[in-house]
Amino acid sequence: MTTTPSSGFSLAQWWKRNRKTILPPIFGIGGFLLCWQLSASLGLTKLSGPLSLWTEERTRELLLYPFFDRGGLDKGLFLHTMSSLSRVALGYALAAVVGIGVGIAVGLNNNLNRAFDPLFQFLRMVAPLAWVPIALVMFQQNQPAAIFVIFITSIWPILINTAEGVRQIPQDYRNVALVLQMSKQKFFTKILLPSALPYIFTGLRISIGLAWLAIIAAEIVMPGTPGIGFFIWDANQNGYVSDIVLGVIWIGAIGLILDRFMAWIQTRLAVGR
Amino acid sequence: MSPLVAVQDVEKNFPLSGGGNYLALKGIDLEIRKGEFISLIGHSGCGKSTLLNMIAGLDLPSGGTVLLEGEAVKRPGPDKMVVFQNYSLLPWLTVRENIALAVDEVMPDLPRSEREQVVEDHITMVGLAHAADKPPLQLSGGMRQRVAIARALAIKPKLLLLDEPFGALDALTRGNLQEKLMQICNENELTAVMVTHDVDEAVLLSDRIVMLTNGPGSKIGGILEVDIPRPRQRLEVVHHPSYYSLRSEIIYFLNRQKRVKQWQAKPHKVLARHGLEKVNLDLGFIPLGACAPLAVAEAKGFFAKHGLDEVQLVRETSWRGITDGLLDRTLDAALMPSGMPTWMSAGGHGGDPTPIVTALTLSRNGNGITLANRLAEQGVRSVADYRDYLLRTNREPHTLGIVHPASMHNLLLRYWLASNAIDPDHDVHLQTLPPAQMLADLKDGSIDGYCVGDPWNRRAELEGHGFSMVGDLEIWSGHPGKVLGVREDWALAYPNTHIALTKALLEACRYCADPAHWDELTHLLSNRRYLGMKPELIRFGAGQGLGDERPADPHTLFFGPGVNRPSRSEHLWIITQLARWSEIPFPRNYVEILERVCAVGVYSTAARELGLEDVSYQRSGIELFDGVPFNPDDPIAYINALSIHKDYSVAEIPIGVPRALAN
Repeated sequence: MTTTPSSGFSLAQWWKRNRKTILPPIFGIGGFLLCWQLSASLGLTKLSGPLSLWTEERTRELLLYPFFDRGGLDKGLFLHTMSSLSRVALGYALAAVVGIGVGIAVGLNNNLNRAFDPLFQFLRMVAPLAWVPIALVMFQQNQPAAIFVIFITSIWPILINTAEGVRQIPQDYRNVALVLQMSKQKFFTKILLPSALPYIFTGLRISIGLAWLAIIAAEIVMPGTPGIGFFIWDANQNGYVSDIVLGVIWIGAIGLILDRFMAWIQTRLAVGR
Repeated sequence: MSPLVAVQDVEKNFPLSGGGNYLALKGIDLEIRKGEFISLIGHSGCGKSTLLNMIAGLDLPSGGTVLLEGEAVKRPGPDKMVVFQNYSLLPWLTVRENIALAVDEVMPDLPRSEREQVVEDHITMVGLAHAADKPPLQLSGGMRQRVAIARALAIKPKLLLLDEPFGALDALTRGNLQEKLMQICNENELTAVMVTHDVDEAVLLSDRIVMLTNGPGSKIGGILEVDIPRPRQRLEVVHHPSYYSLRSEIIYFLNRQKRVKQWQAKPHKVLARHGLEKVNLDLGFIPLGACAPLAVAEAKGFFAKHGLDEVQLVRETSWRGITDGLLDRTLDAALMPSGMPTWMSAGGHGGDPTPIVTALTLSRNGNGITLANRLAEQGVRSVADYRDYLLRTNREPHTLGIVHPASMHNLLLRYWLASNAIDPDHDVHLQTLPPAQMLADLKDGSIDGYCVGDPWNRRAELEGHGFSMVGDLEIWSGHPGKVLGVREDWALAYPNTHIALTKALLEACRYCADPAHWDELTHLLSNRRYLGMKPELIRFGAGQGLGDERPADPHTLFFGPGVNRPSRSEHLWIITQLARWSEIPFPRNYVEILERVCAVGVYSTAARELGLEDVSYQRSGIELFDGVPFNPDDPIAYINALSIHKDYSVAEIPIGVPRALAN
């Protein structure tokens, strides 16, 4: 019996076409997990192996039931994640609004740029954790302080990229605006924003990763509020190593999803360019 | 009618990053009439785009003004719409949205439906209806440029400015778009200014071509009127008689600019050695058999022998290059047609009279009149046949090629035609062409014949494209051919160098005149440095190359009694002919001009120092084949005695007092 290549779906052919993209990651990740599990089983390290997520009963429960809520801080991982994400959303949104606004101003005005660029470059280098004590002093409360840390960490890539995007508007586009005698407002909406948009989104994509990194750090240092950072801190206090591993995997997975999401928006915007 | 655009004494400075200014443009004056298509052409960096931007208002002049309909251009606006080199379409908008953006912005008062109609009309006009909803990045370069043109035209500008609009397109697309643009411009009576570096594009599209010199301080080097009637077709304009002359005019201009730039890039210090004021000389020549003395002096070391250690032979393609080289002082001295010293001294080149001195006649004879073989097929054998042929076919253009208005070829050809009752200005059309182009033009039928120096007559005959109508020996045997010419101010500044140069070349002339050396000369000249053609095409006399014993009969005279001494009466004869054909007015001060042109003293000193006093012998009177005697004491009577002449004028030529070049 023969099959023609074009007729219908053939698993064998699909596999032939895609195996080169599927097999290497499986081997890579599998190999990594295997090494990890082996080193844990052989007692080379005290860190529990990946199998402990299932073998430890408490961890397995957390893994299987992310939505439970027993009140207080005793919640499922999904709910912890949601509270972390809501903080990220707030801080990140604030950073986006301020970053894009200031970025445009700085990109359009060379004097502003000269005045503030050194400051921005300086503040950009301050690690998120270093902001925590300052934020706590400023706001005296965990919640606004955490949001501030996210804001201050994630604003710089947005700001700097936006400014660059505005500076990089090709002279041709500016000339078109000049020749057509466009109003400032029209120039802003019809030329400046669309032209700088790819740069702005590059900044936004870098920042979402930074914001997610910052919230975990902030929550670990500021216990007492629900969140994935607190969850890890709590597990650490109680010595539940496999819970920590589970928390770390959640963090990585959420970060990956956020990044992919921004990348997806970016590609949507790039259509037609 | 007042011009639509007036560029008045415009200057543009750019501040340099290291301090100081770069003067890009200086003293630009240009008027553009309504409905005209103007091209700006020049080398990269000559400021043509800067000029366009100043007309557009995108850039402001540092000095002078640009007026559009009498009002100073202070800022850009839709009345002077620009089509940019890289299209400048907004990539996030579709074709339709790009055009609509401009229309909505410029015509906000029109009702929406009318604006949409304008957009659709212009999309259709450039033939892009099928791509109206595509973003520009999905279009080819040619389509994008069509969108840019549609956008520009949709807002009905008074003036359309195009900055190398087709520069980035492939040849086929470019050709199609050029035709499209021409058609649109004709239909809408647009006024347009286009920057281009493509010579053919400029000739095809323009009414006038503005040629810019190289920066810094670029100026308008010349403006060419394109007299090819519209509507033009890309494939047909090439057959218009003006096409190639316009084209070669522009190419000549651009090459000249390049040469000046290269010359300026080198350091030019006057090197004085061996008691000579200057030993580093740039000597101009054009590839002709008559350049043999220069080639010999270089190859045989005569220059060095007389102390001129660093002589550089500069090969030009046309006599005009020689004139310009002397005018802008990129050449120290040059091989030139014998009419050129008096012609330039009398201002025949169109500028200020520039006194030129000649101390040496380098060659005599060596020319001939060649007609195309197709005339022979029509039965043209003699001059009478030719006259009959011209009368018989007087509706057709009859074009004969000459190399330069001041060359003996022009004067002999005209004299010969006029003496045979053919008016050189009415019965035929004389066109100036570089010698090397004549054969090609004869071949493709754009000229019927030419008068030129060898090897071009011989080549036409050997290659079967033409036949020799009459040789110069039958018109005026022993007429002066090429001379050595230098500027008078140069000669006064470097008198000993001038004598040394004359000595070196006179010795080279003696070498060339010996038939025993002709085979060697032939091989020397066939070198790419000089003529760059097959040796069998280069001949100096009838017997050469035949291998027989009889003494070769020299055609070109390089040396001998009375050959090399500059002769005032010959130059006066030349003046009468130049005036006869209105190339120059007849100079009332002709005696002074002749005194200053003919450096007989330099020649005598050179000859004496070489021990050649015997060659300073005075030739007998001048009489051409028709037997009309030339009386040097009454040149005006001679002109009037000649059957055909133009209404020449007599005028005092202001050539100033002799002054040496300041170092």
